[in-house]
Amino acid sequence: MTAETLMLICGTGQFLITVYWVRKRELREKYAIVWLGLATMLLLVGIFPTLIMDFADWTHLSFPAAALFFALAAIYLYAFTVSISLSHQYRRSIRLSQEIALLEQRIRTLETEQS
Amino acid sequence: MATLIVIPAFNEESSLLSTLDSLACLDSTEFHILVVDDGSNDGTAAILRERSQSTENMTFVSLPMNAGIGVAVQTGLIYAHNHDYDYVLQYDADGQHSVESIDGLLRAATVDNLDLCVGSRFLNADESNFKSTPVRRIGIRFFARLIGLLAGVHVTDPTSGFRVYGRRAIAVFAQQYPDDFPEPEALFWCTRNGLRVGESAAKMHVRQGGVSSIRYARTVYYMIKVTIAIIIDRIRSKEV
Repeated sequence: MTAETLMLICGTGQFLITVYWVRKRELREKYAIVWLGLATMLLLVGIFPTLIMDFADWTHLSFPAAALFFALAAIYLYAFTVSISLSHQYRRSIRLSQEIALLEQRIRTLETEQS
Repeated sequence: MATLIVIPAFNEESSLLSTLDSLACLDSTEFHILVVDDGSNDGTAAILRERSQSTENMTFVSLPMNAGIGVAVQTGLIYAHNHDYDYVLQYDADGQHSVESIDGLLRAATVDNLDLCVGSRFLNADESNFKSTPVRRIGIRFFARLIGLLAGVHVTDPTSGFRVYGRRAIAVFAQQYPDDFPEPEALFWCTRNGLRVGESAAKMHVRQGGVSSIRYARTVYYMIKVTIAIIIDRIRSKEV
């Protein structure tokens, strides 16, 4: 098996997996776009292997090193985005729990006043 | 002048009652007490339910999960902001802080018109005053130097959680407050944004119960996290 065939298989697989999870409403389209973009890139590289070879020539890297560079860049970018997203989610959930706690106190006070 | 005493409490069943008893001597028309139960899984919530029914000037809020001291204190600040309090006094549930120092702390805040007044264990000349463990003192000195270097202000006890927030500080911290280990960060934030900061002598005791939020391996995380937070805060633009 050649590297190009492997990329074609992985790209197609990634495409199908992403569409499947969006269809199940378990993955938001917002995040699916990134994965579909990555799958498209894999497919493009599979169909036009010279893309990575040209990049490898241009940067004086070997083919595996150039492929690894792209893979690591994709992982880094996505993991970093997830960290930022987690930080947003953390702040939101904290604010929600604070609001719940304060509302519960307000209800308790009102109930005591009424009884 | 309405003051809200905010007591963050996480699993403080062994010391909470004596802490609340010690505050009973304060004027109940001037001082209100809000205990923030930070998702405790011991008898803290039960103590609070019972105590709040018999104490007119005391109430409590219960966070649905343990979220850390910063979130607990901020919940108190949001409450104070919503109820239009003039001052918030942050006070430990574990008996470390001394009720006799409250008056001096509030007086320093009002006389000098401070937005944040920190109770310092090092400004108290009393020999019996608990000045923390040697390792902690190294950490305290480190943050005092760091804040002095980056903000140009002299502070002696930046990690002290015995502090008074004025209206301006209440308003901004109700919106945004550091998550965990917030004391040095909040102090630095105030100095950087032109809020008036000062210190007042405070008496402190050895903790009576509960477990410190800063232990063992967490100490290393604490030092690194707070240092990075302060340095990054230094390069932010003014926020008020």
